[in-house]
Amino acid sequence: MTAPVLELRNLSKTFQLPRKGGWFAGHIDHHAVRDVSLTLPRNTILGLVGESGSGKSTTGLMTMRLMEPTSGRILIDGADITALTPAELKPYRRQMQIVFQDSYSALDPMMTLARIVAEPLHIHGIGRAEEQTEQALAMLDRVGLHRSYGQRYPHELSGGQRQRVAIARALILRPQVLVADEPTSALDVSVKAQIINLLLDLQQEMGLSILFISHDLSVVRSLTDRVAVMFNGRIVETAATETIFSDARHPYTQGLLSAIPVLNPSDRRPRRFLTADEIERGIPRLPGAGPTPALHQVSPGHLVEAVAG
Amino acid sequence: MPLVDIQNLHVSFPQHEGLVQAVRGMSLTIEAGESVGIVGESGSGKSVTCMAALRLLRHPPSRITADRLSLDGVDMLTASRRDLARVRGKVASMVFQDPMSAFDPVFTIGHQIVETIRAHTDASLSAATDQAVALLDRVRIKTPLSILNSYPHQLSGGMLQRAMIAMALSCRPKILFADEPTTALDVTIQAQILALIKDLQAELGMGLVMVTHDLGVVAETVDRVVVMYGGRVMEEGPVQAIFDDPQHPYTRALLNSIPGRTPGKQRLTEIAGQSPNPANPPAGCPFHPRCTVALPDCATTAPATRQIGPGRTAACWGLT
Amino acid sequence: MLRYIIGRLLSILLTFFVVSLIVFLMMHSVPGGPFDGNDMPVSDAVKAKLNASLGLDKPLYEQYLRYMWGVLHFDFGVPFQSPGETVTELLARAWPPSLILGGSGVLIGAPLGILMGMAAALRRNTWFDYLVSAVSTLGLTIPVFVISMMLIMVFSVWLNWLPAGGWEKPYSWILPITAYAAVPMATYARYTRSAMLDVMTKPFVTVLRAKGLSERRIIFQHVLRNAALPLVTVFLPMFIGTATGSIFVEAMFRVPGLGAYFVSSIELRDYPLEMSLILMITMMFCVAYLISDIVYALLNPRIRFGGKS
Repeated sequence: MTAPVLELRNLSKTFQLPRKGGWFAGHIDHHAVRDVSLTLPRNTILGLVGESGSGKSTTGLMTMRLMEPTSGRILIDGADITALTPAELKPYRRQMQIVFQDSYSALDPMMTLARIVAEPLHIHGIGRAEEQTEQALAMLDRVGLHRSYGQRYPHELSGGQRQRVAIARALILRPQVLVADEPTSALDVSVKAQIINLLLDLQQEMGLSILFISHDLSVVRSLTDRVAVMFNGRIVETAATETIFSDARHPYTQGLLSAIPVLNPSDRRPRRFLTADEIERGIPRLPGAGPTPALHQVSPGHLVEAVAG
Repeated sequence: MPLVDIQNLHVSFPQHEGLVQAVRGMSLTIEAGESVGIVGESGSGKSVTCMAALRLLRHPPSRITADRLSLDGVDMLTASRRDLARVRGKVASMVFQDPMSAFDPVFTIGHQIVETIRAHTDASLSAATDQAVALLDRVRIKTPLSILNSYPHQLSGGMLQRAMIAMALSCRPKILFADEPTTALDVTIQAQILALIKDLQAELGMGLVMVTHDLGVVAETVDRVVVMYGGRVMEEGPVQAIFDDPQHPYTRALLNSIPGRTPGKQRLTEIAGQSPNPANPPAGCPFHPRCTVALPDCATTAPATRQIGPGRTAACWGLT
Repeated sequence: MLRYIIGRLLSILLTFFVVSLIVFLMMHSVPGGPFDGNDMPVSDAVKAKLNASLGLDKPLYEQYLRYMWGVLHFDFGVPFQSPGETVTELLARAWPPSLILGGSGVLIGAPLGILMGMAAALRRNTWFDYLVSAVSTLGLTIPVFVISMMLIMVFSVWLNWLPAGGWEKPYSWILPITAYAAVPMATYARYTRSAMLDVMTKPFVTVLRAKGLSERRIIFQHVLRNAALPLVTVFLPMFIGTATGSIFVEAMFRVPGLGAYFVSSIELRDYPLEMSLILMITMMFCVAYLISDIVYALLNPRIRFGGKS
């Protein structure tokens, strides 16, 4: 078996927040991400699911080395990139790209779309100027924007079109890993489906591996092979996508699933909502689990945070 | 007399790309106690319809015309400022999308609820404060007094949305317009807020207009659905019928494009193309450029709204 | 809050000494001395004697320490150009006219400007709004001595209603105060208009309307209070700026104020007066900013409570 294209080992991030009460009150540690381990096998899509404050976006940024982890390691294709200098990191940057939710603020308003998409080629010194432009136009065409869009500017586009441009720019270097942080959250229903299909197609064609960060379990169900659920900075459950939908074990995962609106009015049901405290108290007690809460395998490939009980 | 009576509403406003025709001939009637969902994507005119119903659009620059636009018998087109203020908050209230920006940052939540109560009743300050506590309790806030004394920036989005609902309900309105009330919230909070709105609607027996882009929200909360696209109503009917047996091609396409309906990683049935440009909408049916079953007529003449079943209407040349 | 104020006071003291040092060094780095003027040639021997009598022959650091020691005891020295009195006495004599002039100018101009700005914002894009914009633009672009001249032309020369200068009778104050009020009025009109318009587009204003509040209550309680936040921060500093006198208005109307001394103290190398004037202004600005920051914090709960809890 070859190394996974992306691996996170025991990644943690602690922010120091000023304590209330003035200058000399000191800091409190906020554990945004705690001991997160993930593997992204080649040519698969892994969903990283959670709500705001769960640490999923922080994990994405650390994966890209856009934020320094407090501890833990990041491996691309088996190579440890955690401690590389910016210069050493540059060849790996080609291998991993990121797309954000708000693509409008991520696109330079003063540049044409062709230049925006060609920019990574320029930065990495790949090809001559005409070749770069030609590749950028071909890439725009591939993501569903006619080559004539190359001369346009970001403000002329709709939200879905801008997201296509962001994807084109991310993929022009033919990376192995794409980190997609809520790329469909700001989009309309019909456009959302278009972008999901585009990601599925590109994954197939380019042999891409995607870390798909989202709060939307419905999107995750259609798009991903595996899911990792984050809560309070840690992964509480991970399994093949359909296993999560059919056999969720952790109370937080179950809560998330039951919060999905039904798509048939006759399925309306009263729900019970757990508070964060109730979730923490409801960590599954399983025979064979350790004395402190930790991920515990309940079936092959299905891990749930559990304690001995 | 219907509670909400909107006939042939047109709303437009000048913007730099031209005259934006946000709503183009919208009709909607709602009886007391009814719950109706207005579904559509951005630019469909769903929010503008609500804003126009309460006359919350600045006019000018926006232009509003309608054969009829009345709330509880008050003609909102000709009402004086004072009459409008009497209807708003008392007859019809509104809950907005982003709770974080819906409160005045320099006053406490309590102040803002109390001033609403006192704008419509002659309750004393202490009586209004007691009512505010009861309202916060009613929206299942466990510590009403501390929330009352909090400033907006001190609270979470979910808590603020509960407070906004309490504020909207403070004068027992006959109808509540909820404009994407859960879009800015986390998934689990969204489910809680939807459950709350649904429960309160039943408890208070008020009408509800739920404006949303999310068909799931509609399936959860309302009895009747209005599907809008390009400033027009495409289809309208009881919620179960619309989900079981959508008739309009747009409704069908919208339902089919929802992710996660069936198990397994899979391509979705997408709607090709883009939403119409509201400054330059296509002639005929606004959906025809993206419609897979469009007829020649669709590109030239907008179809009229016709009865297609009990309580069901649609506007489509294909439905004859 | 107390801790904050103490911190600010300490930083004011620091500012005070840094400014005094810089000004002192700059003053003495300009070539020439108080007795180098051409209109009163004196022999070198006399000059040396005079310098010695004023302590100007001492090393610079000693002069500085001696002066600052005096300042700490509220002894600001004797102005060279008017040796019959102390600097304190000169200020007591020349400041009141400037204070009356500048103070009334701001106290009349600012409220007028606020009213104009409010009315313009409420009647946006009407003739009144355009008129206010035109008047405030003129007030900010026409130099104050041109305004003074126009006032003198109209009210003194043509109509012969008011004296063209002097300070003896209170009615002779009217024209200079009017000329003085132009800038604060124009500034406040513009600030208020844009602050009000900015607040009026905020979503919470729509919510206030949707609650059925009267337009008057929305404007006077909510919009004004929010718009006042940025206005507060400019008011006191502007007040100080004007209360120290305007060379132009005072010169045009022959007001025996402080303005002229700013110029003459530099021209005549009147070190004690120059230092005293600058230190006084520094102090007043520091205190003004401190007070306006405190008022701002009192008006703005987001600062009062130290962010999100």
